[in-house]
Amino acid sequence: MSAPGASGARQFWRRLRTQRAALVAAVVVALLVLVALAAPLLTAIEGQDPTTYHPSLVDSARGGVPIGSFGGVSADHWLGVEPQTGRDLFARLVYGARVSLGVALAATVVQVAIGVVVGVAAALGSRLVDQLLSRFTDVIVAMPLMIMALALLAIVPSSFPRPVLVALVIGLIGWGSIAKIVRAQTLTLKGLDYVAAARLSGWGTWRIARRELLPGIAAPVITYAALLVPVDITVEAALSFLGVGVKPPTPSWGQMLTAADVWYQAAPQYLLLPAGALFVTVLALTVLGDGVRTALDPRAASRLRVGTGRKREAKA
Amino acid sequence: MRQPSVIARRVAAASVSLVVAAGAAACGPEDNDAKGSGGDSTPHKGGTLTVLNSNPQQDFDPARLYTSGGGNVPSLVFRTLTTRNRENGEAGAKVVPDLATDTGRPNKDATVWTYTLKEGLKYEDGSPITSADIKYGIERSFAPELSGGAPYLRDWLVRAADYQGPYKDKGDTKGLSAIETPDARTIVFHLNKPEGEFPYLATQTQFTPVPKAKDTGTKYEQHPLSSGPYKVVSNENDGERLVLERNTHWSASTDAERKAYPDKIDVRSGLDSSVINQRLSSSQGADAAAVTTDTNLGPAELAKVTGDKELAARVGTGHFGYTDYIAFNPTIKPFDNAQVRQAISYAIDRSSVVNAAGGSALAEPATTFLPNQKSFGYTQYDHFPAGDAGDAAKAKELLKEAGYAKGLTVTLTHSNAKDFETSPEIATAIQDALKKAGITVRLQGLEENDYSDKIHSVKSEPGFFLAHWGADWPSGGPFLAPIFDGRQIVKDGANFNTGLLDDKSVNAEIDAINKLTDLDAAAKRWGALDAKIGERALTVPLFHPVYKRLVGGDVKNVVISDWTGVLDISQVAVK
Repeated sequence: MSAPGASGARQFWRRLRTQRAALVAAVVVALLVLVALAAPLLTAIEGQDPTTYHPSLVDSARGGVPIGSFGGVSADHWLGVEPQTGRDLFARLVYGARVSLGVALAATVVQVAIGVVVGVAAALGSRLVDQLLSRFTDVIVAMPLMIMALALLAIVPSSFPRPVLVALVIGLIGWGSIAKIVRAQTLTLKGLDYVAAARLSGWGTWRIARRELLPGIAAPVITYAALLVPVDITVEAALSFLGVGVKPPTPSWGQMLTAADVWYQAAPQYLLLPAGALFVTVLALTVLGDGVRTALDPRAASRLRVGTGRKREAKA
Repeated sequence: MRQPSVIARRVAAASVSLVVAAGAAACGPEDNDAKGSGGDSTPHKGGTLTVLNSNPQQDFDPARLYTSGGGNVPSLVFRTLTTRNRENGEAGAKVVPDLATDTGRPNKDATVWTYTLKEGLKYEDGSPITSADIKYGIERSFAPELSGGAPYLRDWLVRAADYQGPYKDKGDTKGLSAIETPDARTIVFHLNKPEGEFPYLATQTQFTPVPKAKDTGTKYEQHPLSSGPYKVVSNENDGERLVLERNTHWSASTDAERKAYPDKIDVRSGLDSSVINQRLSSSQGADAAAVTTDTNLGPAELAKVTGDKELAARVGTGHFGYTDYIAFNPTIKPFDNAQVRQAISYAIDRSSVVNAAGGSALAEPATTFLPNQKSFGYTQYDHFPAGDAGDAAKAKELLKEAGYAKGLTVTLTHSNAKDFETSPEIATAIQDALKKAGITVRLQGLEENDYSDKIHSVKSEPGFFLAHWGADWPSGGPFLAPIFDGRQIVKDGANFNTGLLDDKSVNAEIDAINKLTDLDAAAKRWGALDAKIGERALTVPLFHPVYKRLVGGDVKNVVISDWTGVLDISQVAVK
């Protein structure tokens, strides 16, 4: 079984590489991850940190609007400073990337883990188990994510580490669609001859699931997970925007948006920076996710003219 | 006085509405002549004044309104025994006669107060206003179904503690025995303790005359009988839209305070604050003759307005006696140690706190608990001078003496409300300032109701939290007593003495000052008491807010008193 898997991965990369948009998106995403990981280093180069106040850099008599052009952009403050506080915006933006990406990735991992377990169990379990799990999944899918998240985040004591909590809440609420996809795919695979053969040769359910089914559902799960990451980023931003996400003074893009929305006329760059960062991140992740889907989809593969050595040779 | 500052804030919003332009307003850095766009600045009668508000004018019944000085819109319809002086700045913090001929005649120890009504007072239907109607109006406010007013009457009047209102008076037609009406123009109040500030209380709408024959109970708010210059024409959705027109039976000769220039007042509520400020700044159509009685300019809006000369000229500045501060609970470690409290006082960076509150135009740094106004008895002191940016070195020194040489970690409780007062913005500014003194601050942000419940309960009060306080009238008494009078510590219920101070000398001084009927002399002693209590470092005063509000381009005669800090709607003209 391992040989086809390896060649599948190779094929996947080849197909992904031919999509220019996906490649650009992948580079952008890689850069963002790098920026997030290197946030302390980058701010150290700038000589700032995300929480120190600089009262002298804002015009106190005018509501605390930053002094200087473009919101106080200078050699010391590359993207200017925050109105009222004078905190460095570059530092807040790159530290905000850690929260956005970290929470979204962790939430996606939780969603995929729960979704796969529930989906496979429903497909392989008895009729009763299937009924119970499927109806439960329906309930989860039907529940409005934002409202559930608001409720959950409001009742947990504030001593619980906030970013972990936000990731858990998004993960625990958003796994329904993955479970449904996994269940459907598993049911399809279960009816195929090679699975029947495995069962006839006396393999147990667990072994069949692990050895025969999981490799088969990997493609749709990876595709869906790639598309979930940007969704989770926007959910985190929305929760922080509504004031139930990460707490101050931890910087987060959603929180910056809330604070900035009243400043759009007096200090537009304050709003544009987190909005732009969110836009670029979500767009890049979505395009990349789409590229992953295309690369994993056998029907799209032929359109891409890769994956079959014969056609390539013919072209050459 | 048991009312929370939350209520006091509501009071400020609901009742007061003054702010605006008027450069004249004595206070504040803005000296623009607010009268706006040139032309004739003399006020004339006529026109419709539009009021754009966010909060509806709910419960428009004089028994149910909780106001300071009779409120803003309510005071157009409801006259009271006394009222606030409708003048700019400091003069506006005085109490003056309204329906009565003077501000009240006390007996020797200020436990009996006598008022005489002016002659020729009439309701909107032309019938005469009598002292019995004022007594009845006060009695109604004791009815459980008409609750909402301040608790003073129940606390101060003799034998009133258990009174349940006139609807429960079976057979006994005398009602509250604490109030006598020997004739149609005289009314006498008997108090259970000396209260030199009774004239201030008599400004509240509970002192509005209500004729018993016209009382419709809980439905009275739909059409209360007017004693003021305007009467209610329509009241939709519990005060969301309130239309007032001239009361032809009101006579300016009996009312020295209300100018009543416009013919009609149209109060529209339920608007978003940013919408209100946007409409006032563009000043189109009917909005040119518009004001707001509850919406301030925020920091971002101020930044925009100050960049525009025409708009800046239409901004009114006002000061409402109010203090935002840090409160300590000295029963919780490490705040039981006075040196720790002093260290925090020294470490505070008031410039970043003021910026977080909206900058120097919207907040003035505070080192005293009393607001910086004469009527409160303001006495300058700064026991733990922190300068603009905080004195981290002095703070560290004190912490070392207190045994925290290696620093200290504390939790600061605040609310998540977006009010720039007890909100996360202020808390993070404090967090940053204390870091320099080696104090690590963890933030505990609570939802507003949760926060309010916790800080006002002796059992759950946190050790270190943000708080604010405003008084029901501009005097040191209602400002200091609820917070520092040991007998006002409420064990099971809403407690405002957050420092749990119960000091015999402080309590005795409060009693002594309450006996004074010379309000200027009383003010001086409140100021001295404030300075003395300040030495204990039970609070860290942070700032006194400043109100900035826009008015429409046609609005004239903007008057902003220090009593309310916002424009007085009874003085505004639109022609």
